Amino acid sequence: MKMTPALLIVGGLLVFWSAVFVMVILPIATMPQTPSEIWRPWTTQEQEGNDLWVSNGCHYCHSLFIRVNDWGLGAERIAQAGDYHQQRVAILGTERTGPDLSQAGGEHPDDWHIAHFNNPRWTRPLSLMPSWAFLGESDLRKLTAFIQAQGLKAADERMQRQLRYGPEARAAYRRGFDANVEWLHAQVPPVWRAMPNPYPPLEAALLRGHKIYQDNCLGCHGAIGDGQGPAVPYLDPPPLNFTILRKHLVEGRYIGGLLYYQIMNGVTGTSMPYFKRDLESEKIWDVSNYIAVYFIGYTDANKEPRGIDAAFEPPWPHTDTPPTTQRSRP
Amino acid sequence: MIAFIRKPSSAALVFLVAGAGWFVLGTLYGMTSAIHLVWPEAFNNIPALVFGRTRPIHVNAVLFGFATTTLIGAGLYYVPAVLRTRLWSEPLGHLSAVLWNVALLSGPVFFSVGVSQGREYCEFPWWADVALTASVAVMAVNLVMTIAVRRERQLYISVWYFMGTFLWTATFYPIGNVMWRPSTGAMPGLIDSLFLWFYGHNLPGLLLTPLSSGAAFFVIPRVTRTPLYSHTLSLIGFWTLVTLYSHIGGHHLLQAPIPAWLKAISVVDSMAMLIPVFTVIANLWLTSRGRGGRLLADPAGRLVAVGIIWYLLVTVQGSIQSLPMIQRVTHFNNWTIGHSHIAVLGFSGFIALGALWHVLPYVTRRQVWSQRLVNLQFLLVTFGLTGFLIVLTIAGLIQGQGWNNGETVYRMLPTITSYMVLRAVLGVLIVTGAIVGFVNLILTLTRGQRFTPRPIEEPDLEELE
Repeated sequence: MKMTPALLIVGGLLVFWSAVFVMVILPIATMPQTPSEIWRPWTTQEQEGNDLWVSNGCHYCHSLFIRVNDWGLGAERIAQAGDYHQQRVAILGTERTGPDLSQAGGEHPDDWHIAHFNNPRWTRPLSLMPSWAFLGESDLRKLTAFIQAQGLKAADERMQRQLRYGPEARAAYRRGFDANVEWLHAQVPPVWRAMPNPYPPLEAALLRGHKIYQDNCLGCHGAIGDGQGPAVPYLDPPPLNFTILRKHLVEGRYIGGLLYYQIMNGVTGTSMPYFKRDLESEKIWDVSNYIAVYFIGYTDANKEPRGIDAAFEPPWPHTDTPPTTQRSRP
Repeated sequence: MIAFIRKPSSAALVFLVAGAGWFVLGTLYGMTSAIHLVWPEAFNNIPALVFGRTRPIHVNAVLFGFATTTLIGAGLYYVPAVLRTRLWSEPLGHLSAVLWNVALLSGPVFFSVGVSQGREYCEFPWWADVALTASVAVMAVNLVMTIAVRRERQLYISVWYFMGTFLWTATFYPIGNVMWRPSTGAMPGLIDSLFLWFYGHNLPGLLLTPLSSGAAFFVIPRVTRTPLYSHTLSLIGFWTLVTLYSHIGGHHLLQAPIPAWLKAISVVDSMAMLIPVFTVIANLWLTSRGRGGRLLADPAGRLVAVGIIWYLLVTVQGSIQSLPMIQRVTHFNNWTIGHSHIAVLGFSGFIALGALWHVLPYVTRRQVWSQRLVNLQFLLVTFGLTGFLIVLTIAGLIQGQGWNNGETVYRMLPTITSYMVLRAVLGVLIVTGAIVGFVNLILTLTRGQRFTPRPIEEPDLEELE
């Protein structure tokens, strides 16, 4: 075969257009164009948020689809074609420097997002995200609206939860510290309230707890646990001050299970997120012990009721006595 | 001015100089982005330097700016040369150059202020898409006319690739950029991702690969002074390239909810890509068989030879990572970033640099100012890129395995810190290589020893056929 100009040009275009037919035209003609059960149209503000998302390159780090082999944020729903129905610009993304956000709507209240946009490390100390404060309040609100819509109807349900508990949490905060802690304690199932931390606060465990606290908690609760982290000005209700928690021990003794449950589950409606996905059991117990020993000044670790000692546990005599403090009257 | 735009090879020179300039700009923006991943508050609240804006500037500047622009410059010299003619219209060549570079400049200018269409490699604003398409179309016409007025009857393989590039790009660029919807440049809904990745993979497939192959097929036989090994292999390599490469975009969406048959086609054709790649590489290798020493002794030839090795690596890697089992680990992380760097800077970039230094004396009628600086550039970029591949592959495997085994993205961030530091350090080598090359190019233009190549009408081309 000899290459002639005619063969080169006509042949080259024919082969190329057959590829266009297979890879572009055929899918357009055959792909079903139906919305999925979670689909709803975007509001104007969400759409404007999408435009900001696209033009500022958020998608270079955050993908918007969940795969079958994903575990983290949003893994309750594998992406379906109908989830993207008629979206103005749907960029699935190629990179996850940050988490996938396709189901992030309602995971956090709005004020968490605003704090996060202003300085991502205030809410997530390890984050590599740049600050977006320069966009200004109005644009950050639009971006927040866009993220809170990720998951559409499923996100709306999660947002309903945030909106239901948010006012309750704020009201409890406004009633003063003691009432607030009582409200917070009341949100924990009774079985967890009277549960001591089953693991001793050995030196290694406290060092682990220290690192976990720095990597996850200190932006809001502050380096000394006084609830005065840099994110505080953005958060309502503000984060809990651990240092005066000692007068709110359950039955004058217990605090470990409370801490564990609130860290695992978060406090919906407030900026306290759940850490169930980021931290496994041992890490939550370790950071609970860290908070208890260093900020509260008392740990219930290894107290009764307790089961048999775990195989790895060295002997650890519990010498802490519960602090005796007068409850202040509001 | 008028005299300059009529001067033979002057449009080629404009593209070559622009390509070297884009290399510096593009790598500087890459460096900025790399610093972000080490030190996210380095450029705190400087809007023009926020990661989401610098990354597309980097990607577009190196892909379209450095690699493509340099390879076009080389082609505008070698296509007329192997056809024993002159470019049909040098002023039209300059028109292409202006439209092309204006379109590309929209990147740094507009992305910096947060104006971008966002979809990867489609970020340019609509009017820039129009300018870029017009540039490519003008070039296609110019090339068709150059072929029409040729004095060499036979079409050498480099001409096929160079001509094909512009025919295909003039069509896939508007389709991929959804140019009939100027406001977003995107189709609504999921279908958009099919447009995006059909286009996204034709960029390396039908723009970078044919340009690089064309340049390699020109430089290697010239440097080794041997005839091309096989016309049949050339034909197989060319036609399987356009047939297979245009069908593999779906492998970017293997884990997304697109039709299964599309994924199957993409994976099968991705594996089949080994046919054109091995054919082309074998053809070039066998051409230089026994004369490899000449290739390695020549600074430009060495760059092209190593570019071919990158080609082998990147395509074998690309085929393998299109397999669904592998992609569960490699998708979404720095593995892919390593892969794209050896594609654009390794394969296309090395061949672009080799072609640049090879054709520059013929285009400028001056000897390259310093071959030692060419060698220095080669060393800097080779060390930098090899390190990049190793570091990013390791980081990617760590991330991918972590995610696949239940770790959250957030928890995996500290595991890649040291690799991001190394990557930024290696980036310094690449930026330095780009600057060394630009300086060498400027000094060649101003101080290179004058040199009179044989007239273009009678180039020493017998040995090419």
